[in-house]
Amino acid sequence: MRISPTDVAQVMTLLHDDPEFRFLILSDLCGVDTGSVMQVVYHLWSDATPDWLRVIVDGLPREDPRAPSVTFLWNGAEWAEREAYDMFGIIFEGNRDLRRIYMPPDYQSFPLRKDFLLADDAARSPGQGVRHMEQTFQPAEYRRTPVLRQGLGSDAGHMAPGIQTAELASGEDPAR
Amino acid sequence: MTTEQTVRSLDDPDLFVETPGTIYDAIPPLPPRTEREAEFYTMRDGEMLINLGPQHPSTHGVLRVVLKIDGERVVDLDPVLGYLHRGVEKICENGDWHHAISNCDPLEYIAAMFSEAMPVMVAEKLLDLGVPRRAEYIRVLAWELNRISSHALFVGWLALDLGGLTPILYGFIERDEIVEMLAALTGQRLLFNYLRIGGVNGDLNHDFLSRLGDWMGNALKRIEDQQKLLNSNEIFVARTRGLGVIDRDLARRTLLSGPVLRATGIPYDVRRAHPYSVYPELEFTIPTREEGDSYARYLLHLDEIKQSIHIIDQVLHRMPDGPVMAKVPRLMRVPPGRAYVSIESPRGQYSAYGMSDGSDQPFRLRIHDPSFFNLQAVGLLMPGNLVADTMAIMASVDPIMGGVDK
Repeated sequence: MRISPTDVAQVMTLLHDDPEFRFLILSDLCGVDTGSVMQVVYHLWSDATPDWLRVIVDGLPREDPRAPSVTFLWNGAEWAEREAYDMFGIIFEGNRDLRRIYMPPDYQSFPLRKDFLLADDAARSPGQGVRHMEQTFQPAEYRRTPVLRQGLGSDAGHMAPGIQTAELASGEDPAR
Repeated sequence: MTTEQTVRSLDDPDLFVETPGTIYDAIPPLPPRTEREAEFYTMRDGEMLINLGPQHPSTHGVLRVVLKIDGERVVDLDPVLGYLHRGVEKICENGDWHHAISNCDPLEYIAAMFSEAMPVMVAEKLLDLGVPRRAEYIRVLAWELNRISSHALFVGWLALDLGGLTPILYGFIERDEIVEMLAALTGQRLLFNYLRIGGVNGDLNHDFLSRLGDWMGNALKRIEDQQKLLNSNEIFVARTRGLGVIDRDLARRTLLSGPVLRATGIPYDVRRAHPYSVYPELEFTIPTREEGDSYARYLLHLDEIKQSIHIIDQVLHRMPDGPVMAKVPRLMRVPPGRAYVSIESPRGQYSAYGMSDGSDQPFRLRIHDPSFFNLQAVGLLMPGNLVADTMAIMASVDPIMGGVDK
């Protein structure tokens, strides 16, 4: 079953809640890079049938792949979505913790994309040149940024933009 | 981006003040990137962070857990993965389907027979290849033996993490006999590399069968000894009963599988829910427990060992004659398509999603490891428990970091 990213929440909720489908178990969630588009593939299982239902969210643009998160139905999908983000750069909107999970936090590229070539590949296809795409850098301001060691009150300026915790919003200093 | 770095003298008094943190510190030197991270690294009164791992022996590999504690109680935790990440999926894309077998081997290194089955079964499904019945029976035999060795070790580890030294020795006796047996069959003790696309690497031999016969004679008795040792051990029971309780709804929502899920009362076993290989022909039950705590998980593992012995008994009685390999070409071009296979490993549902573009290499091979999802649930189980109990919970969920980190 192929759906577009805008329908994910609706379709998944229907499959999960409808008493005829009862797809209560999400077996797997993974990203796929077909070379032209990104996909997110879900495998659902219901006790009504022994077969898997494969739901493919198709047609995510490679430049800016975005899909809604399904963590509102299965909060265990959080790490699977983190993995898909880490490996493919697919951004799951609604995931509370979309950080890198395997690669270091300052890593810049997405290893399982098809345009990420291993160093060996340069040797495998001569004439193509060195295509080692791995590029890590440590931005200077990251290294110098003091972190939340002194409590929130003095550090509010260092929070990433757009992130507001409840404490910050209320202006309360929890250390006090 | 330009990096302006000035060389500073060691005499500079500011040097120690501004010594930058590293990403491996308990508090990463980055501004919080997500809502959850901001929440976690916001400290309240009396809270502190400690790093557990990545080289702590009780983390079962190289797992780092940042624990936020208040006194002796764990308030929250943030598992940090990736110390064992090898990019197996990427490596598989760059080798052919046969290479994927040995690349997937070290994922679940305690029970390698399951993880190496993944590329094999995906390729067989894509090729629509029938496996000889004798090969299927040998596979089931090897899987169930490996499951027992893994479960025996689980019981030992659990007791070891609670401070009991004896059960791990018994666990290793059990495991060593099975591992030697499988070494006689496959040539390897740990990473077997035994399954092949279309069958298995070699037929049963005399050495394997004689070892198996010796072991089968007193396998059940050993399990009962193990039970006597721990089931009525007051300290063991007191430290595991009621610890790390998962209810059914949470278990389903957190994508748990395997013994952790069945300990909550959901009889979800891929061998029955989505039958594969020759499991439909075999007779066995799926043990479940209702409590969902560490003690239930421990008891469930013992029940599963008994069921596995029962399966092995049937397999040996029904083992058909015939070839152990189907006729397959040496250079295997797998027809284009997508396939999803799933098996029941000792830790839960091990599944793989393969895509082929018609060449001899997998286009995409996604490995779904149960330890990964079970470990995620540990984050929900630990808060509120004592620091000393975190290891008991971790051991009862039994993650294997080779599979978690891929």
